Amino acid sequence: MLSLQHLSKYYQAGGNKTFVLNDLSLDVDEGEFVSIMGPSGSGKSTLLNIIGLLDEPSEGYHYFAGEAVHLLKEKQRSAMSRGYMGYVFQAYHLIDELTVYENIETPLIYQNIKGSERKALVADILDRFNIVGKKDLFPSQLSGGQQQLVGIARALIAKPKLLLADEPTGNLNSKQGDEIMELFLKLNREDGVTIIQVTHSEKNAEYGNRIINLLDGKIESSRVLNHQ
Amino acid sequence: MWKSYLTSAFRSFKNNRGFAAINILGLALGLTAFLLIIFYVSDELSYDRFNTKADRIYRVNEDLKFGNNEVFYAVSMAPLAQALKEDFPEVENAVRLKNAWSARIKKGDVTIRENKLAFADPSLFQVFTLPMIEGNAVTALKEPNTVVLTESTARKYFNSTQVLGRTLLFDDHLNYKVTGVIRDLPKTSHFNFDFFLSMSSLEESRENKWLRSNFSTYVLLKEGADVKQFEGALNGFLQRHSGAEVQAELKMTYSSFEKSGNYFRLNLIPLKDIHLKSNRTGELGPNSTVQYVYIFSAIAFFILLIACVNFMNLATARSANRAKEVGVRKVLGSSRSYLIAQFLTESILVTFMAAVLAFGAALFLLPLFNQLSGKEMAVSAQSFIWLLPLFIGLVLLIGVSAGAYPAFFLSAFQPIQVLKGKLSTGFKASGLRNFLVVFQFSISIFLIIGTLVIYKQLNYIRTKNLGYNRDQVVIVQNSYELNDQAKLFKQEVKRLPGVLNATLTGYLPTSNWHNTAMFYKDASLDSKRSLFPETWGVDEDYIDALGMTMASGRSFSKDMLTDSSGIIINESAAKFLDLKEPLNKTLFKSNGGERTESNTKAYHIIGVVKDFNFSSLRDNIGPVVLFLDANNGALSIRVKTTDLKKVMAQIEQTWKSISPNVPISVSFMDQDFDATYRSEQRIGRLFILFTTLAISIACLGLFGLAAFAAEQRSKEIGIRKILGASVPVIVRMLSVDFLKLVVLAIVIASPLAWFLMYKWLQDFAYRVQIQWWIIAIAGIAALLIAFLTISFQSVKAALSNPVKSLRSE
Repeated sequence: MLSLQHLSKYYQAGGNKTFVLNDLSLDVDEGEFVSIMGPSGSGKSTLLNIIGLLDEPSEGYHYFAGEAVHLLKEKQRSAMSRGYMGYVFQAYHLIDELTVYENIETPLIYQNIKGSERKALVADILDRFNIVGKKDLFPSQLSGGQQQLVGIARALIAKPKLLLADEPTGNLNSKQGDEIMELFLKLNREDGVTIIQVTHSEKNAEYGNRIINLLDGKIESSRVLNHQ
Repeated sequence: MWKSYLTSAFRSFKNNRGFAAINILGLALGLTAFLLIIFYVSDELSYDRFNTKADRIYRVNEDLKFGNNEVFYAVSMAPLAQALKEDFPEVENAVRLKNAWSARIKKGDVTIRENKLAFADPSLFQVFTLPMIEGNAVTALKEPNTVVLTESTARKYFNSTQVLGRTLLFDDHLNYKVTGVIRDLPKTSHFNFDFFLSMSSLEESRENKWLRSNFSTYVLLKEGADVKQFEGALNGFLQRHSGAEVQAELKMTYSSFEKSGNYFRLNLIPLKDIHLKSNRTGELGPNSTVQYVYIFSAIAFFILLIACVNFMNLATARSANRAKEVGVRKVLGSSRSYLIAQFLTESILVTFMAAVLAFGAALFLLPLFNQLSGKEMAVSAQSFIWLLPLFIGLVLLIGVSAGAYPAFFLSAFQPIQVLKGKLSTGFKASGLRNFLVVFQFSISIFLIIGTLVIYKQLNYIRTKNLGYNRDQVVIVQNSYELNDQAKLFKQEVKRLPGVLNATLTGYLPTSNWHNTAMFYKDASLDSKRSLFPETWGVDEDYIDALGMTMASGRSFSKDMLTDSSGIIINESAAKFLDLKEPLNKTLFKSNGGERTESNTKAYHIIGVVKDFNFSSLRDNIGPVVLFLDANNGALSIRVKTTDLKKVMAQIEQTWKSISPNVPISVSFMDQDFDATYRSEQRIGRLFILFTTLAISIACLGLFGLAAFAAEQRSKEIGIRKILGASVPVIVRMLSVDFLKLVVLAIVIASPLAWFLMYKWLQDFAYRVQIQWWIIAIAGIAALLIAFLTISFQSVKAALSNPVKSLRSE
């Protein structure tokens, strides 16, 4: 589903190129749950942003869902990200002025989905995530875990092909973190959502079925986990 | 989609009530001022447009140059209207109006003094649109001694408008028959009369004199007539008609008259231009000047601009807070155009709320504004025909233009950078915002300087030494009604305790009386050595009673019999005549008719009076010649008393003892003087009002920005405080950034303001200088106001507990 070939991202500083990603190649299949790990500055987030079409590589080939992304124009890329991607952030990034319900509904609005259909979809996901009672609250009225739950619900509402999560549990305590990870696992196994997450935590990384370690913009190691 | 825009916009206001309030209030304030000025300007521009044929109506003006004198008249000759109709096929109709000044009219047992009367030709109603309620518009003013009343005048005298055939007794001896009732004249007419008397009642209207101008003449041209061609033909026409008279009176042919540098011309002014562009001798009423329309339009535009700039500034300043939302929305799939639409919606929404407030406030304040501006504007259902499109247009225009920059600026954020928090330092960097603050304050400082100069000039006019003393002078305006007994009245008044002196004449510096005549230096009446002064017939008490000063020579005296051929000239007349030692020189004046030496009269100059001001202070003092005459137009009484009421009562008592039936009509000279400058005073007041508003709005914006800067830098302030910074240091740090901008604004605005105000002052013959301290005051005031505005926020930020601001990170 996703294929990155000889991908580099660098910044020109004087005569020197500073590489964030250096000639990196990676393939991810549909239905995988990949965890990306590595020390600060190893390029985890950059990689995730490039995969999520929020950032562009300096060089290399990028294929997603059969499209050569590196050849696409800005508008097409943006349309693609709208249709295929769901994002979850460490800092949740909910819109403070909108209620839980409205936050979850927002991506659907941008996809020009009709009001009645939106209502059904949001009601369904609220139900699935068990947050129906909170639908009229504002983000500031929720705990961190609850906010991230809403964030995930929002990421999933448009049925993305790929869920991208940048340290989704980074701002949560361990109990809340475990719950989120269990949810990810369930989504991956039962609903077949492809997930790529960036994490610092070995324990959380092991929820995935592949762990990729980055160092200085390169893949240092990659290991496949066999859960039963 | 729209619902989502609106909810997020509304909630964003709710969470930022302070900013939203500043935003809406500032904009509403600006819009209110803008609307009031628009009302004012559109009222000024609407004069005489109620006439359905306004586009084809012109007034005929007369320009005259003879010797050293140039006169521009709004009036023209009695036979002109008829002659134009006969000579020019393109003239559809013509009408003459002549001010009848004043009359006493009987209503039952009471006599009422009326001041709004005019003689008019019957064609009045064919030229002007003055709809008749009663009577026949074609015949109404044909017969002598007929009168057409306005509706409210008819009600005033008869409690009804069905008054055809009723009579009104004028001045105790003239009966006028009512032959028509018209609707009241619109306020936006350049002439405003309650009584239109038939022109045929006036003997003078039938005189065939082409060298005497007393009638306002209006022509109605046929549709499609070539105005330029018509106007060009007027001078040949005038030559044809007046040539013989010029020959007889001036003893020269029309062409030699013109060859010696003189002229005598007719020209046209469109009816619609009269109110704003005509300021000639003999206007039917005081007109305005187009200059004020320009000035106020500019102020309206500036105020609106300041308010919009506030709006933009606060919106972009807040952008750092909104940046996160923008980032998230982009990541969730919003395209840039969606975001632009969202922010524009928000901005239009704010503008809409502000506009609703402003329209309400403007309507509510209109009566107050009318008082201040001396207008009688009203908003009717009809006004909504243009108010509604104006409203929608304004909301869209301001909403889009003020929202455009924030919309494009915010929507261009790169989501990744925003979400990583890289844009939180965005506040200080905005060069545009700095530019806008400088721009706002430049306008404000410009307006402060303008206001100070205008105020100073108006004050100067009020207090200037006019060459006469207008204080404590009581004027009996209708002494002419005592006829021969006016002199007796004067003698008796002079004997009253508290009365210093009195002078009997209608020619006063504050009156509208004008008379001119030709004086020559040589008995041969050579026009090259001539003077065309105001000639005022006065009595021997004139100079003393009005507190004028003699530059040389003496005043008239009762004891000198030869004074009947003596004259007093003013300094400017002496200058015009180029007389170094004018005393005892002789001037000659034609007696009219045959111009032989035996038919001229010699006058010797017995004194020179210091220049005194008798027309507007906008004009230079013209030459004046005073001669002894039994003019009983008005009695000016100089009093010296602490009990004015008592003296007034005694004067009235004296009047009653001579003329028990005619009521006395009294005014005070200083008030008459003030009336001349009333429009200037009003303009001055309006100017001050709008300047204050403009500055307030600019400060409101600065207040918002300062608050925002303090909020943005709260973490920095916290850290600095923990590191040991004192409150004053932090206040200074926060204030200096803004004050620098204000200083820059002063540097930009001062020369510009100085230059434009200098130009404005050139219009006045008597004017103040723009001193450096005016600019200094304006600058210091702006700095002070700005500093107070900012320091409120700065001090608040500096005093806050650093732990609080740091914890939130």
